[in-house]
Amino acid sequence: MSEKNKIPEVDIVIDQEAGVIREVKPDKLRSKKGHERRVNTSIYVTLVLMSIIWLAPFVFLVFQSFRSYLTESGGMVNYLLPKQWSLDNYTWLLTDPSSDFLRWYGNTLIIALFCSVLQTFMVLSVSYALSRLRFKGRKLIMNVVLVLGMFPGFLTMIILYFLLRQLGLTQDGAVPGLILIYVASSGMGYYISKGFFDTIPKSLDESARIDGATRSQVFRLIIMPLAKPIVIYTILMAFMAPWGDYVFASYVAFGSKPNYNVAVGLYQWVNVNDYQGYFTRFCAGGVLVAVPVTVLFLALQKYYVEGVTGGAVKG
Amino acid sequence: MAACGGNWIRGSGRKEKKHMASVTLEHVKKIYDKNVVAVHDFNLEIKDKEFVVFVGPSGCGKSTTLRMIAGLEDISDGILKIDDRVVNDVEPKDRDIAMVFQNYALYPHITVYENLAFSLRLRKMDKEEIHRRVIQAADILGITEYLGRKPKALSGGQRQRVAIGRAIVRNAKVFLMDEPLSNLDAKLRNQMRAEIILLRKRVNTTFVYVTHDQTEAMTLGDRIVVMKDGYIQQVGTPQEVFDTPVNLFVAGFIGSPQMNFLKAHLTKEGSGYAVELLGAKIPLNEDQNQVLAKKGFGSKDIILGVRPEHTTVLFDNTQNAIECTIDVNEMMGSELHLHLSSKNGDRIIVRLPTVDLTKEQRSSLAYGNKLYITFPAKVVHLFDPETEASLING
Repeated sequence: MSEKNKIPEVDIVIDQEAGVIREVKPDKLRSKKGHERRVNTSIYVTLVLMSIIWLAPFVFLVFQSFRSYLTESGGMVNYLLPKQWSLDNYTWLLTDPSSDFLRWYGNTLIIALFCSVLQTFMVLSVSYALSRLRFKGRKLIMNVVLVLGMFPGFLTMIILYFLLRQLGLTQDGAVPGLILIYVASSGMGYYISKGFFDTIPKSLDESARIDGATRSQVFRLIIMPLAKPIVIYTILMAFMAPWGDYVFASYVAFGSKPNYNVAVGLYQWVNVNDYQGYFTRFCAGGVLVAVPVTVLFLALQKYYVEGVTGGAVKG
Repeated sequence: MAACGGNWIRGSGRKEKKHMASVTLEHVKKIYDKNVVAVHDFNLEIKDKEFVVFVGPSGCGKSTTLRMIAGLEDISDGILKIDDRVVNDVEPKDRDIAMVFQNYALYPHITVYENLAFSLRLRKMDKEEIHRRVIQAADILGITEYLGRKPKALSGGQRQRVAIGRAIVRNAKVFLMDEPLSNLDAKLRNQMRAEIILLRKRVNTTFVYVTHDQTEAMTLGDRIVVMKDGYIQQVGTPQEVFDTPVNLFVAGFIGSPQMNFLKAHLTKEGSGYAVELLGAKIPLNEDQNQVLAKKGFGSKDIILGVRPEHTTVLFDNTQNAIECTIDVNEMMGSELHLHLSSKNGDRIIVRLPTVDLTKEQRSSLAYGNKLYITFPAKVVHLFDPETEASLING
């Protein structure tokens, strides 16, 4: 292996594996290799620069979160590294009686967990139905959903607020109200998973149905295991959207502090409250918000790339 | 379902009594959206333990019909019965059928063992019985050593065996096979064809088999259903379909190389008939005369069909021989396939066994040389050029 891959000093090499004699011009080979190296180097330099630019705000955020609001300064300063590393911000967030952070965190977590379960169920069911069942109006539904999807969700904000209000799902009822909003329209995001289901051969469904499975058993026992990457993707997306949502959460919970989600609550600190005093605690809150999402991604990323349909049919 | 366990074929080949499993199709139609008719008025009764093959070119409706029997396609019109029970609106899982798909349709995320056990687990059969059946099926098909593998670690032939095994363990009333061999290479296909014949003997149940390959149809079927454009052309045993095709299509589709069709003229002379073509005159035999007279045919233009294996090749001209020129000489080993053209441009293929040929004769079979062919009356098929129906059969 290594013998063959070396740049030869002679003009003729015998490729033993292929059993042929090859004429190689060493100079040409060398210059090709050099060209490759130059291209690679420039690609890597660009990538490193891009990732530095991309990562910088996060790194700064983390630095700020370790600057004590008690002994140093809780506001904006003109240096990056804290003079003294401290966990004061985190301690305050998690333990101080005047901090609503845990409450907000809990609200957000409840919303996100409910959404990731209900929304995943909705999206996958809609996708499966649209991928496998043929019924009157199927095309129409898909087209209508496509057109509706072109309008931004904010257009419905005001009417949704009044509807939720009539149901008592604003302010004090903001958490269930938000779950309802997020889940209700989620079936519209079926495109990606439908596309994935379309690649699973239909004959697997048919075979399972003949083997004695009901449609729901086909879905659970055959399609779900094969669609693992897309299921994981859907769960992640369903978790992330409400986790970081600000717009809907801020007006549904408007004015009711205990029912905020983290994004709205944290923003209140730097907006309404003492902006200079709360900045580092805001940063610490941001870091804590990033933790579960990061953990989720790290834990589930291998499923993204895992293709499991190999060997299903001839190929 | 557990009661079916008794019908399982033991390794010794001992068989136990099994419930009847006939399939009846009465005026079955399949009409897709936009009035595309895939199957017209399909009538057939498949008897218990019969092996019926649907054969025809692609798009003839054979797979659609099979899928209607399976319950994977809705039946637009007509009645489908399995065992005298109308099953038009019965879910596939409740029809007690097993099916082997062209692309195998193995479940890729579970092992071969679990693939075989899947249907039994759905029926909540007890574990020991499942194990026994899986092991037995694997044994029959010779896939025991692959039970722990996933489908993607198997070759095409092994996957096909697993697919068949999945149908065997079910011990279903009816076995449906949708072109199960067409994804295999030629050698493996021949081997699996023989294995299906053996399998059929062992699992002795009703088979419906779809193929576009007439060889498979001829070798496997008790009866063949030849289809074209959604219509049944002919139903019969392989011998019947081969010997007495009812129309041009069946005559051309069954048999390889395909039957030669030549323009000819039927003449009535007294009580007898004769066929004239290319300067030759072939008096028909007694049976043929009787049928033609009974149907009241006069003299008319016809299409004459004669199979390549039924022609006699002569190297010298004799009376009533047809003069031809050699276009192509295909060496098939034990025989030659000669592609000839007649004086008026008809193309004719003849099969000529090589064993009796002299060296001179062989060397004379070259492009452009003349050759003479004859055939007796008993091997000719007569067709109406307009309706394409056989004048004698059907």
